[in-house]
Amino acid sequence: MKTNGLYSKEEKIFQDKNKLYQAHSVKQIAYSTDPRDFGQVAKSIPCQEACPARTNIPGYIRCINEKRYGRAYELNRGANIMPGVLGRICSRPCETACRHGAPDNGVSVGICHLKRACADLKSPMHRIIEGLYAPSGKSVAVVGSGPAGLAAAHDLAILGHRAVVFETMEKPGGMLMYGIPEFRLPRDLLMTEINNILRLGVELKTGQAVGTHITLETLTREFDAVVVAAGCTKPRLLGVEGEDLENVYNGLDFMKQINKLIGDKLIGDRPQLINRINSGQSPIDRQINRGLSPIKKINWGLSPIKNVAVIGGGFTAVDCARSAIRLGAEQVTLYIRKTMDDMRIDETEKHEARFEGIGVESLVQPARILGENGRVSGIEFVRTRIETTEKPPYKKSVPIAGSEFVVPCDSVIAALGQAPDAHDVSDALTGLDKDSPATGMKGVFAAGDFVTGSTDVISAIAGGRRTALAVDLYLTAMERKKTVVRLESHATTDRPRSYDFIDRVPMNTIAMDQRLADHTREVETGFDPDQALAESRRCYLCSLKYEIDPLRCIYCSACIDVAPKDCIKMVETIPVNADGTYGRYVETGQWDRVVSITIDNEACIRCGQCYEVCPMDCISVTKTELIQMDMDE
Amino acid sequence: MPTSDHYVIIGNGPAGNAAAFTLRENDPDARITIISHENISFYAKPKLVRYLAGDIDKSALMVKEPDAYLQNNIRLRLGQTVMRIDLQNRCLHLAHMETVQYTRLVIASGSRARLLPSMKPYADCLTFVTEYNDIKGMREKIAAGKHFFVFGGDLVAFKFLKMLTHMKKQVTLLLYPKAFWPHTLTHAMQKTIVDNLARTGAHILVNDDLDTIVPEEQGGYNVTTQQGVKKQADLVFTFNGLIPNVDFARGCGLDIDHGILVDETMRTCLENVFACGSCAQIYNPDLTAYTTSIGWPNAVAQGKVAGLNLAGETCRVQQAGRKYFDLEGVKIKTTWWEDADREDTEGEDTDREGNDRKDADFKNTERKDVECKDTDRDRKTGEKDGR
Repeated sequence: MKTNGLYSKEEKIFQDKNKLYQAHSVKQIAYSTDPRDFGQVAKSIPCQEACPARTNIPGYIRCINEKRYGRAYELNRGANIMPGVLGRICSRPCETACRHGAPDNGVSVGICHLKRACADLKSPMHRIIEGLYAPSGKSVAVVGSGPAGLAAAHDLAILGHRAVVFETMEKPGGMLMYGIPEFRLPRDLLMTEINNILRLGVELKTGQAVGTHITLETLTREFDAVVVAAGCTKPRLLGVEGEDLENVYNGLDFMKQINKLIGDKLIGDRPQLINRINSGQSPIDRQINRGLSPIKKINWGLSPIKNVAVIGGGFTAVDCARSAIRLGAEQVTLYIRKTMDDMRIDETEKHEARFEGIGVESLVQPARILGENGRVSGIEFVRTRIETTEKPPYKKSVPIAGSEFVVPCDSVIAALGQAPDAHDVSDALTGLDKDSPATGMKGVFAAGDFVTGSTDVISAIAGGRRTALAVDLYLTAMERKKTVVRLESHATTDRPRSYDFIDRVPMNTIAMDQRLADHTREVETGFDPDQALAESRRCYLCSLKYEIDPLRCIYCSACIDVAPKDCIKMVETIPVNADGTYGRYVETGQWDRVVSITIDNEACIRCGQCYEVCPMDCISVTKTELIQMDMDE
Repeated sequence: MPTSDHYVIIGNGPAGNAAAFTLRENDPDARITIISHENISFYAKPKLVRYLAGDIDKSALMVKEPDAYLQNNIRLRLGQTVMRIDLQNRCLHLAHMETVQYTRLVIASGSRARLLPSMKPYADCLTFVTEYNDIKGMREKIAAGKHFFVFGGDLVAFKFLKMLTHMKKQVTLLLYPKAFWPHTLTHAMQKTIVDNLARTGAHILVNDDLDTIVPEEQGGYNVTTQQGVKKQADLVFTFNGLIPNVDFARGCGLDIDHGILVDETMRTCLENVFACGSCAQIYNPDLTAYTTSIGWPNAVAQGKVAGLNLAGETCRVQQAGRKYFDLEGVKIKTTWWEDADREDTEGEDTDREGNDRKDADFKNTERKDVECKDTDRDRKTGEKDGR
């Protein structure tokens, strides 16, 4: 039955049925603003609900399944602006929420890898689609060209406004350009997707620090509105003795230094071979043992690093650690306050860090940094324990008295995150509220990490887009877009049950020696079309809503008998929440109290078994999508 | 104590059994269930190597037969895998879709083999010697085979290598100094170990790493190292220590680092949930470090404490001190390591004489000893190498 990982025979039968259904079906489409439909979409499509940008994930995965990569790319772009970038570096809240990863359902779909696949596999001459509004004659200054600023500028340009972006650094991209290493995010790809935004007529002024070269007050005079999306640049400090020693780096500054030098092509000499025994794990050892060319090292103009302690457990900390390996460090260890499980990175990143020989020491926090002659010689740590507070439920690390110990090292990278600094932009900028794009200054709005504090790229993009709509409302005094639920009759389940048992496709990566021979070479190499197809088949397509017509149902319970999950329920009542959405079903086991047999779309895995077996053909499938429409459409 | 309480113990090793039988001694009416994913009653994992070599039969592996559980009114559910813990509803979800309610839970799920990230692509080609399930049918294959390849090199690996060479098998060992984590072998230590092991007739490779393992159509594997060494092997084994077997418990609310975090009473952060044995991670104030225990006596001690505390006592586990550990002529001073092959398996079932005789067989060479000084780096947790 199973051939090359694909269920060929069963799939063929399914495809034949599918064609038959399509030939005999007439599509009916409706647009709804009913709160019950919004509630249903939110509960039924957990990946989309978890995505801050509300990307139509089932939609683009279905397009990949049909090998319509360009359409999949555009569905992504419609929500998250830069699919190729996010397909590589997104923090993936969608995958955490994916129904396939729920208990007993297996492993979540590789949504992010599929996002990348549509960017990689689309035609090189792909045509981007933008629905441009008429010019408004208004102009908006955007401070910062990070993800939030770019997203805001993109949407403002679409809405017909002149958008001018002011960037402090020499290149656009903000954290994407300077905070993320090139081996995770190739810069040519980043620039391609930034240029897709600039091509809309967005003006970019680099090397222009608002607050230094130009004041916010000037911008408010010269433009009709200002969006401040200056990101988070103020590093959180360790707050321990010895932090001012040489060789103590802030994580973001460390990455900036490396990325700036790589960007300037100042890649320098080769390092000396390091005399170490084979560890069986260390990438450097393998490189040496294989007799291959030694590691290229960046001549980064600062002291050489050998034994590096990275404090922190987030993406920046891991990026710093992996970059330090590429700088020629012999030993790199991450030190985290809480447990390995509490690290704010996904399993893929954890694996790559381990694969590259990076150690992790958990349940520790630095007590002081030790130094000799002004340079770091070690760190004194103290062990921590986890304490749970009851209200709100929150876990914090608490130092254990008397548990101090010393670790020798020659460099410390503190990657504890950053905070926004409004005073850098203007002392007059007040009234920042993470729940509102408006600020205390008239005509000045804020977006992204600058107002919310350090988050992730997808949240920043979503924030930038929200702010753009708020600016548009401010400038035009009218709402021009509305979100509706598009409902389309769908006469097929789109997938056979066998797809539920396909294993997650692992991402392809380059070998360790290749990583070290060229430290800018991208580690992950993406899916080929077959891999993308296999992974796309794993998606449950939760945007398909299954419903039982109670007027036609004969209560035979055949659907309940075949359902692999507890998803078809005998319901006594369906409460309605205060916001108009449906609440949790009230189930009953007594037939005389049953008012309906109902499919619980929160538990349903869209296997289609009920649809196949129903003798009365009373189960319907409806494709549900959140879309944006013009108010006057 | 109400008899309606259901005490469920996950794991049928020394910790789980110690917890169950201690609880039984202190509460004759308690309803106790042990759930184990293995299809075999309580057996001595340290003896698996000798069983593989054909030195002992299956009956000699056994520590407790099913009758012992019947007599003590302990329900033993074998071959049933716990997939997740539902703390809110106080139930366990088993792989066969059954749910088991509990009022108090002891997690004593032990450890599983550590697979190095670089070896993941070849996982299907590798054989582990961690539990009885791993080695079903291997005994015959080993008897019939001639060439074997061993990666890593923890304590079990050395014993296994000696067993194979004693059986006149051709063995290649690719030695990983970090398999003894947290100790990294120095050149001197590595040389001593290699010299001692080489006297067994095995081919020892150092300063090398795995390149590829290619299965052959007619059985067996072609192993190529990065230095270009090519070997044909009937079986490829890997020994890179153990990691706590706690994946099923992740995401349920327990604090998990490498293992499940517990205090000295073996209590976790959640009420009515205990963890003990090598799946538990505990702060040792004497060492000012978190440790996961290795070895039978530690597991038994922790299981007993969990059992007593389940029965309403308030006992604290005695932290094990440091001791010298002999690693092929290299003395490593460390803690919570036990040379399992020399241990009593709950005392009454010891096969001590057999062990001693076997050890004597191996002491056929004059060995040079090197001492590894105790350092802060042995104050580690989690992944571990002695068994």
